[in-house]
Amino acid sequence: MKNRTFYIVLFSIIGLCFVATLAHFIYAVYAYHHCSIIYFIGQELWK
Amino acid sequence: MKLTKQIASIFLVVVLFGLFNLSMYQLMTRRLFNNFSSATQAQMIDVENFIPHNSNSDLAEVATTFSLTDNLPVLDGAAALVPVYASVIHNVYPEGSVTFVGGQFSKDNYYGENFASDSAMQYKNTVRGYKAIVDGDTDVFFCSAPSSEQQQYADECGVELVCVPIGLEAFVFLVNKNNPVDSLTMEQIRKIYSCQYTNWKEVGGPNRLINPLTRLEGSGSQTTFEAIMGDYEIGTKSPFAITGASIGFSFRYYLDGIVGNDMVKMLAINGVYPSKENVQNRTYPIVIQFYAIYRADNANPNVPLLIDWLLSNEGQTLIEQSGYVRIN
Repeated sequence: MKNRTFYIVLFSIIGLCFVATLAHFIYAVYAYHHCSIIYFIGQELWK
Repeated sequence: MKLTKQIASIFLVVVLFGLFNLSMYQLMTRRLFNNFSSATQAQMIDVENFIPHNSNSDLAEVATTFSLTDNLPVLDGAAALVPVYASVIHNVYPEGSVTFVGGQFSKDNYYGENFASDSAMQYKNTVRGYKAIVDGDTDVFFCSAPSSEQQQYADECGVELVCVPIGLEAFVFLVNKNNPVDSLTMEQIRKIYSCQYTNWKEVGGPNRLINPLTRLEGSGSQTTFEAIMGDYEIGTKSPFAITGASIGFSFRYYLDGIVGNDMVKMLAINGVYPSKENVQNRTYPIVIQFYAIYRADNANPNVPLLIDWLLSNEGQTLIEQSGYVRIN
């Protein structure tokens, strides 16, 4: 793959991943402020 | 060789983003799916289980000669008190007094119910419910004491609210059942929520950040909690607190009886567990009253009759059978 093509593919994929992560983060922040705190505490991770 | 490195670079990027999102999902997102609505805990109660005059409902029944047939006061209340006021309708009101948009019950609604505007039972929960009682849409509202903002709204509207205590309940703090901490003092709770204590090891627990959770402003539990904090100001927690172990609050029967989530546990306060007995004998430190609230200028003659009945032995028995503690 030519360098130019590679960087286009690489940054496109980084962009897509970044947008998906940002959407996930925004959803999590919004949902955190509106969720059931009882369920939230109940699902906490403990070893 | 070059192509292999390029493909490996792309693969690495995808894997890194994937791992980050997976971590965020495990830590956070998977815990947010339950009963999601735009009002915290709004749909944590399944109203369908508390529809009066329905054989499938889980409502208290008492032997009573008191009944209302006309001028039926419209009842509304907080989520935690739906079993109480639904039981009142079930025992005192005639069949057909609870009606639905479209003729039958449906959950396809913002709050998980579809009561018609002429129904004697409504479910607006605390924040909307206080507005409805002041605006005159509800006759009797079952809830904990109003917040300063709710009282101020009533004052601004020139409405006097009469709050009649009808039962007792424990205000409880809860943690995950795997959290080794079983008891806190009032002082420790205030210091946790004012962010003076930020790690569970400071209160005898594991070395883990404390994530103190609060609720929607104006909700019954948030208003009660703010009163409990007294002179302590609620602190601003670290953004990393969310990675720690949480503490939250609710009401005893709402948590233990209505929601029934066995993944959390209630904490003893000053060594006293919030059992029904410890509420009754007032040894548990945070016992609150809940109220039947009506407008002082309400002209419906059945409102005072209903309030008197709620304070009678029959009414108090109904409150007890609904999971709460009698006040008389």
